[in-house]
Amino acid sequence: MNNTPLLKINNLTVTYPLNSEGSDVLKALDNISLKVNSGQIIGIVGESGAGKSTIGKAILGLLDPPAKLVSGEIRFLGNSLVGLSEAQFESLRGNQIGYIYQNPMTALNPVLTIGEQVTEAIEANTNMRGKNAREYAIQLLERADVSFAEDRLQKYPHQLSGGLCQRIVFAIAIAAKPKLIIADEPTTALDVTVQSSVLQTLIKLSQEEDIAIILITHDIGVVSETCDYVYVLRNGKHIEQGATVQVLEKPMQEYTRSLMASVPLIEKRLHRFALPNEGKMEGISTHLGYLQEDRKEDFSSNKTILKVTNISKTFYTPSTLFKPKEAFKAVRNVSFSVNRGETVGIVGESGSGKSTIGRMILGLEDITEGNVVYKGKDINSITNSEERLAHYLSIQCIFQDPYSSLNPRMTAGENITYGLKIHKLIDPKNAKSLAQDLMVLVGLQRQDADKLPHSFSGGERQRIGIARALGYRPDFIFCDEPTSALDVSVQANLLNLLKDLQEQFSLTLLFVSHDLAVIRQMCDRVIVMKDGEALENGSNENIFEQPKHAYTRSLLDAMPKFQGLAQS
Amino acid sequence: MIDYKKKLVTLSLQIKSIFSGHPIAIAGLIGFVIFVLTALLAPWIAPQNPYDLMVLDIMDGLLPPLSKLGNGTTSWLGTDAVGRDILSAVMYGLRLSLFVAFMATTVGSIIGVFLGLLAAVKGGWVESVIMRAVDLKVSFPGILLALMMLAIFGTGVDKIIYALIIGVWASKARLTRSSALSEMQKEYIDAARISAIPNWRIMLKFLLPNSIAPVLVMIPMSLSGCIGAEATLSFLGVGVPITEPSLGLLIANGNDYLLSGKWWISIFPGVVLVSLVLCINVVADRIREHNNPFLKSMNMQ
Repeated sequence: MNNTPLLKINNLTVTYPLNSEGSDVLKALDNISLKVNSGQIIGIVGESGAGKSTIGKAILGLLDPPAKLVSGEIRFLGNSLVGLSEAQFESLRGNQIGYIYQNPMTALNPVLTIGEQVTEAIEANTNMRGKNAREYAIQLLERADVSFAEDRLQKYPHQLSGGLCQRIVFAIAIAAKPKLIIADEPTTALDVTVQSSVLQTLIKLSQEEDIAIILITHDIGVVSETCDYVYVLRNGKHIEQGATVQVLEKPMQEYTRSLMASVPLIEKRLHRFALPNEGKMEGISTHLGYLQEDRKEDFSSNKTILKVTNISKTFYTPSTLFKPKEAFKAVRNVSFSVNRGETVGIVGESGSGKSTIGRMILGLEDITEGNVVYKGKDINSITNSEERLAHYLSIQCIFQDPYSSLNPRMTAGENITYGLKIHKLIDPKNAKSLAQDLMVLVGLQRQDADKLPHSFSGGERQRIGIARALGYRPDFIFCDEPTSALDVSVQANLLNLLKDLQEQFSLTLLFVSHDLAVIRQMCDRVIVMKDGEALENGSNENIFEQPKHAYTRSLLDAMPKFQGLAQS
Repeated sequence: MIDYKKKLVTLSLQIKSIFSGHPIAIAGLIGFVIFVLTALLAPWIAPQNPYDLMVLDIMDGLLPPLSKLGNGTTSWLGTDAVGRDILSAVMYGLRLSLFVAFMATTVGSIIGVFLGLLAAVKGGWVESVIMRAVDLKVSFPGILLALMMLAIFGTGVDKIIYALIIGVWASKARLTRSSALSEMQKEYIDAARISAIPNWRIMLKFLLPNSIAPVLVMIPMSLSGCIGAEATLSFLGVGVPITEPSLGLLIANGNDYLLSGKWWISIFPGVVLVSLVLCINVVADRIREHNNPFLKSMNMQ
């Protein structure tokens, strides 16, 4: 055993200039030190803006200008990496330090076959050529758990799944037998079942090839399954470090504790996330009457509010001269019903048709077959236009992408009240104060109603989206992955808000997510979907504790296990 | 309700951020402003009204620059065959050329943007009809189309504006449609649709402000294109009527005298035309560069 660590970073500071003179700077990394021993997997955890990716880039000399390495040292095998020339870095990258990107589809070259790309990496870094290189390529793919390795060599990236592509990226990364691999969110773009097996491969490679791995991720579950040692960063500053179990379960710092409390658990359902410093909401009185009007109906009685019977959706590719149109069934014969006041979750991997169901209920997509009955009436059968409008407006939606769900040219307040004014639900004179009240209701500042969307963060924009939906006094809100674009602490706050609003306004929620843990925390009943079919439909406890369908079980097994904070 | 003062401040800041540090673009902008002011103020600052036949004296015909006229004034840029002061004629010509180009660009862009939005929102046969019309227009050489139009409808200031509008609208429609289509993928449009906001409001309040930026960037280009096209048509004699000479017509007038050494009749309007188009193009290039981060980053390296 030698005592020199494989990689050692001391007091690293990286800055971005905030103005053209460079007098004002943003410290992307502030005095960061870390150490990696050979064969060790360390995790770097933090929310967006924490500077996790900047560390990886700084090690390889890949900082994008105008970012600047101001001070500190990086030593790899005892040699300093600070101030190396581009040529020296090039002999290091790929050869001794590998890099794995977040999205395998963009990391691979779409016009070259897998074989060409793997052998290219081999020929660049070793003496093997021709047949030898090809045999070595097959070996590498097999080591990275790529099935049918020999056949895959002729394939192009688009013919393979995301998980397979990521494995091929692994194979390329280990071609030159590097000592260290920096993996930047390697599984974020993958579905949960794929994620767990890809992580297994990563661990196996680390052990068999004795490669140290720096795993950069925002996902606490992934860290708890893979890493030996964890660093927690926030806004470029070091918060906490230590053995994984210790940091995740008995964190010393306030920030780490609140971060861990925000992680939705799959093991048990909590009433709400126990966030330490959640601000108490300022009361509103002016427009509460408007918002709560028509809500006298008893919502404790389990009346069905929405009934979906055998709906299907078929998409067609446009027919051309050479090819007839092709049908793709996104949703097949799905039936379910939602009772007043409850939250029903639809969970499934990408392409399972879960969002399409919601879009059909909202009227954004035509229903190919079957029908949707809301409050006892099929929307398409209502002839009275006023009744039809009221019906429409009582179903609202919270969208997935906070960065595109608000009109960028309208202020937050206008975004919230524009439709209300159009439909004359409110007096235009009251629009502004109603918008302000709604802003307060969703936990934003009253005066921020005059700001344009670009001055809000993702979580705040999502709150504006919720305020917009509430303005219509809906009974039913379709939540389309409302937190998938947000950091985990922001997600926890938002989910708490949704629960509060649901109680206050007796809302019924249909909650779509790919994240089982979020569904576990939010929903009373759960529908599991795969390839357009509803496989299982049951209560929260039944689905998560006694899953019947094999697919549900495999989904649950694939979830990274994180026990949550130790109870003290 | 709208705070115009605040908007004016933001606009001037925006103009400053576009032009600061780019001396050539600033020079272009100043030049363009001077040309526009000259055109607007021509009736008051021109030494002579070139349309008023009473002030023209045939005895002053074909005088070189800096000559004294019969009424004792100096003709700085010389006179043409009928004794018209070239400086005054150029000022009035500039006025007409700019008017025609402004009208054609504005009306053409409005029509184009509207049709582009309509195509994007309606889809189906409406979109097909509009976009095939665009294809048809684009497949003709612009100048040929304008010549045909003018041959059919006759000449006149209004007719040439129509002919230029035909040239302007198609590219704007195509551009607006493509940027509106990408906006329509965004969730705020879905949010408006589930709130049953009527299509025309979605077009005006949601799509228009968010998809018009690329069209605005193209407008200066189209303005200089229209000035050039109008000059070409007038030079060919199918443009503005001979009684209201534009820059192109002035150049055509002097064309016959070029070989006999009377160069000033054509050259001065020509110089003004070239510098006007140059000024606009320099400004247009800068605006385009400012709005396209890709071009900007290429310049930085």
